[in-house]
Amino acid sequence: MSLKNPKLLLAIPAIALIFVFMILPITNMVEMSFRTPGTSAPFGDDYTAQHYDRILSDGHYWSVLIRSLLTAGLVTVLCLIVSYPIAWHMSKARGMKAVFLYACIASPLMTGVLVRNFGWMIAAALNGPLNQTLLGLGIIEMPLRLLFTQGLVILALVHVFVPFMVLPINNALRNISPTLIEASSSMGATRREVFRDIILPLSFPGIYPGMILVYVLAVAAYVTPALLGGAMVSYMPTLIIGELTGTFQWPFGSALAIVLSVSTILVVALFTALTSRLMERSKA
Amino acid sequence: MSEMTNTFGHQKTMNIGFGVLIVLLYVFLMAPLVMIVGASFTESLMIEFPPQGLSFRWYFEFFNRQDLVDGLLMSLRIGAVTAIVTMSVAMMAAMAGQVIAGRLSGWFQLGMTLPLLVPELLTAVGLLFFLYKIEMAKTVLGLQMGHILMSFPYAYVSIAAAMRQVPHSLEEASQSLGANGWQTFRLVILPLVMPGLAMGGIFAFINSFDLYTISLLLKPLGGNTLPLALFDFLTYEFKPTAAAAATLSILLSIAGVALVQRLVGLQRAF
Repeated sequence: MSLKNPKLLLAIPAIALIFVFMILPITNMVEMSFRTPGTSAPFGDDYTAQHYDRILSDGHYWSVLIRSLLTAGLVTVLCLIVSYPIAWHMSKARGMKAVFLYACIASPLMTGVLVRNFGWMIAAALNGPLNQTLLGLGIIEMPLRLLFTQGLVILALVHVFVPFMVLPINNALRNISPTLIEASSSMGATRREVFRDIILPLSFPGIYPGMILVYVLAVAAYVTPALLGGAMVSYMPTLIIGELTGTFQWPFGSALAIVLSVSTILVVALFTALTSRLMERSKA
Repeated sequence: MSEMTNTFGHQKTMNIGFGVLIVLLYVFLMAPLVMIVGASFTESLMIEFPPQGLSFRWYFEFFNRQDLVDGLLMSLRIGAVTAIVTMSVAMMAAMAGQVIAGRLSGWFQLGMTLPLLVPELLTAVGLLFFLYKIEMAKTVLGLQMGHILMSFPYAYVSIAAAMRQVPHSLEEASQSLGANGWQTFRLVILPLVMPGLAMGGIFAFINSFDLYTISLLLKPLGGNTLPLALFDFLTYEFKPTAAAAATLSILLSIAGVALVQRLVGLQRAF
């Protein structure tokens, strides 16, 4: 093969990094999931499909898988509801105000997930700010136990992923030409019609990647359920890490990870198929 | 006439309602950070917000805790190496990316950002087995490679964006004036992409500093990064020392945000 441009050679270290330390290891994991369980080592020498059999025939694993997929779906939808108004407001801002708003999105984004989850631990304490607010508003009469509940896990996950959704939607909204909106309102469209028929479809190129990214990351999120979920409720990632570090069942842990990945891809494919019409409308 | 004032009134209530909603959403975004910073200054033995009194005792306590300080030092060291390596590798990849044309270019971009798009958990699990296979399991070098991989896309995206801003004609002009490839790079391209390159390094450093899952699976024997040490501390002790440690981490990210704003502007960076 002759190289048209020697500059292409500069890509070799980066390609090697991603190939050797990511693509090869993940391929390796697929192989690992078909290994027999080991007795003295984390895996055996022979191949078997028994781990997949075990996962798919056990109701416990099904329920954990479905809980993980549904929780991530709920987190994604809540993220969209929280992010859209923020992105809308941000896309209108200019100058120093815009800088300030970007800083408000970027600071949590650049703070570690563990640190942000810890913030919610403080908020959720028995006489912490969340309970005090609910008591003050008269919504509850007694402080609630919020720590180690699924609700807090969902709240903290939404907080983790909101910036990932705000940024692409904000960029899509900024690309909508104001003349288009002026034209349609001058032709008699109400604000609601303008939003439904113009702004919403045209922001879809930001909503779609935002939702996919948040869903994929939320399904596999480990720290948040491990720290805030407590021992009562398990999700797939906590189960997988438990198999790998606690009981050292590498083949079984790999099979769990692959079941989770395949299910995630199926959900994303289904979502893409269901929204393909919206995407086409946004291009028209 | 009365109908008109009515719709105006309606409009106004809607705008006020939207304003309140926006304020509440920003409170939601900032609340955990504010509570951590607040709780770190408490005088009491409990992690609580609002804090009781005002003191720096938990910061002294943090710097007296060998396990947490060791974690901090390890995170800083791994982050610094990650930033330097990802900046160099990403700079080269971005230069190669410029000469890739057409459909292949999109695939190249996708490939370079792959570690960002595939969940960290999968990469971490794969790497755990792989490092075991090549006998690098539980070593600092193995963990370092994991951090470089996970932080590479951040450096690449920043640097590639900066490279796209460099007009091709400058490079041609430099070459027609007799500069060789290295001189063109050092005297023409590098100064122009410097802000983007620095931003890539900052993003890579901060991302490495924050990584958790990959560090948990790849951590070397007896070594902890700050997030790992903090998780253990929260599980077993839960004292305001944790808030002091977390505040230092928040300060780092705010410094990062301020630097990025100065270098290229937040609006262009995100």
